[in-house]
Amino acid sequence: MGGVVTRRVLGSLGAIFGATILAFIILRALPGNPARLIVGPLGTPQAIAAVEHQIGLDKSIIAQYWLYISNFFKGNWGYSYADGKSVSSLIGERLPATIELALFSFALTMFFSIALALLVTYRRRPVADRIVRGIAYLGFGTPPFFVALLLLIVSFRSLHVLPGPEGRLGLQATPPPTVTHLYTVDSLIAGQFGTFWASFKHLLLPAIALGLSSFSFIVRLLRANLLEISREPFITVARGKGLRRWTAFRRHALPNAFLPTLTAAGLVLGEFLAGSVLIERVFNWPGVGSLVFEAIVKQDFAIVQTFILLSAVMFVLVNLAVDLLYAVIDPRVRIASVATS
Amino acid sequence: MSDGGVDPGAARNGATEELALSVRNLSTVFEDGSRTVHAVRDVSFDMRPTERLGVVGESGSGKSALALSILGLIEPPGRVLGGEVVLDGRDISKLSDRELGAVRGTHISLILQDPMSALDPVKTIGSQIVEAITANDAHIRRAAARRRAADLLREVDIPQAESRLDDYPHQYSGGMRQRVAIAIAIANNPSVLIADEPTTALDVTTQSQVLALLDRLVEQHGTAVILITHNLGIVSDFCDAVAVMYAGRFVETSGVDHIFLHPTHPYSEALLKCVPNPERLADGPLPAITGFPPDLAALPGGCSFAPRCPVGREIAECHERSPRSHHVVDASGPADVECHFAEQRSAAVTA
Repeated sequence: MGGVVTRRVLGSLGAIFGATILAFIILRALPGNPARLIVGPLGTPQAIAAVEHQIGLDKSIIAQYWLYISNFFKGNWGYSYADGKSVSSLIGERLPATIELALFSFALTMFFSIALALLVTYRRRPVADRIVRGIAYLGFGTPPFFVALLLLIVSFRSLHVLPGPEGRLGLQATPPPTVTHLYTVDSLIAGQFGTFWASFKHLLLPAIALGLSSFSFIVRLLRANLLEISREPFITVARGKGLRRWTAFRRHALPNAFLPTLTAAGLVLGEFLAGSVLIERVFNWPGVGSLVFEAIVKQDFAIVQTFILLSAVMFVLVNLAVDLLYAVIDPRVRIASVATS
Repeated sequence: MSDGGVDPGAARNGATEELALSVRNLSTVFEDGSRTVHAVRDVSFDMRPTERLGVVGESGSGKSALALSILGLIEPPGRVLGGEVVLDGRDISKLSDRELGAVRGTHISLILQDPMSALDPVKTIGSQIVEAITANDAHIRRAAARRRAADLLREVDIPQAESRLDDYPHQYSGGMRQRVAIAIAIANNPSVLIADEPTTALDVTTQSQVLALLDRLVEQHGTAVILITHNLGIVSDFCDAVAVMYAGRFVETSGVDHIFLHPTHPYSEALLKCVPNPERLADGPLPAITGFPPDLAALPGGCSFAPRCPVGREIAECHERSPRSHHVVDASGPADVECHFAEQRSAAVTA
């Protein structure tokens, strides 16, 4: 299967290269001198020149670009202009919160997309179908931060059933002993069920706000695919063999309908993992999105620039993984790739 | 099979021979909002074992809906209104999905028109044949089912059957896929096989090969076949009996000889005139049946062919009263004809 794999990997490398160029150019095009920002408003010209030399600003553009990407891929992402901490440690601190929210929201999104798409396509349920499509249209058209605020107003302020915008656990709670950095998992490992429940409740609203538009997208895609596939003659043939309705649906309609959904699911996961600035901001979620927001406010470009490139790389890698997965599970792609290799 | 095919009067005459399939008053509708499409209207017929019945008619005359109704595979918004389907002596029209599952594949099976979409693109050919075997025999061992699948592929003349089991449908040509569809259909040696335009999507050479294969296999297995087609040439080669379907009804049922020599129903006659015939080249352009098939959601009163009928277009009775079925006999054999003028027209031929 060399052909497809090589093509996809080369394509992904090209995309990452493009992203580095773009990030580099944007960085150079920004007004202001980074060295001046680092030294501060009272810096002497000598101090500024020293910093310029230190971070390589006096070198040629090509050399600067090379320095920039080699540092990036070595994990040497520079230092925050604001407090001098290394960018990698700052992002590392915030990453678990973003990952936990992303995975939880992704699981919710996929579970409800699949369950509801099956519900309205396996048998004709006109009323349920109309409701699901209604939710999907609303969810697709409403901005996530607005959904987030709405959810907070309803379930926190009015109904008092879920915690407000207070981060991952609330202000007084102590995090569980660190194993995976994911509070829900760590609290279960430590047997702290109270902490698990608290972190679960704190995850719920941001996860819904983050996932709603993706859910709307995937449920519509899956519904349309399932409806189309269940009308295919091979489903009738399968039933004609004596398979029961559900068996024919499970063995033949589901795999065929899920294949095109895989790409969408990959895109969604990549998007979630890159962190949502708005959602994290609304819920005071201490993730990468919040870090970037703070960095933008403070003009801390070392962080912003790393974040942009990092999310681009992550997005490309997730898509590469999906493409490769295709080559494994779809015989049409797999066999075509054997033939061309 | 040379006895002139189905004798439409057999059941009425109390023939004692065991029937493979007996359909009584089968009706199916498709409900789309306020529109109710009457796809199959009160169809009855009998088939003896090994008999081959051709069902012919224009597109939209309800042929495929009839096939799915017999198999109990009508999906919403379609609904079988009523009627009996007696298969190997057992009424299957009121069975549950589970009970029907045990009947489908083993007693009755089907082949569809388009071999490109009749096989699941992401499953191997082998697994799809094996599935036809295991669906009705949960205890068979995997290896045994696979050997049986390879035997079936050999039976439908696929070379290197053993290794080609692991191929996917896109690696097979259209003709080969239709052979696989046949292998699946005969896997459990059913007594009735419904073939819904099995060769329409194939090119002419492949068509005759697939038809010859089907002919050989149903002969060997003693399978009764319902062949749905709009190709009258195939009917004359392959079938013993013909049912002409129009607007959801069988308007004429008879042996093949009768239809080709003395079609009694004006529609059958018109249909036959539309078949290209080198001997009639001199008669000028090929005639077409004027008008369009009726809207099955808004059927006219009386005979549904009346608005297009060269005989009854101007006759009030044809537009007012639905014709009952007339049993007529002429030199080419007996026929059941739904036309007010059946007896007159049949007598005219004999005289």
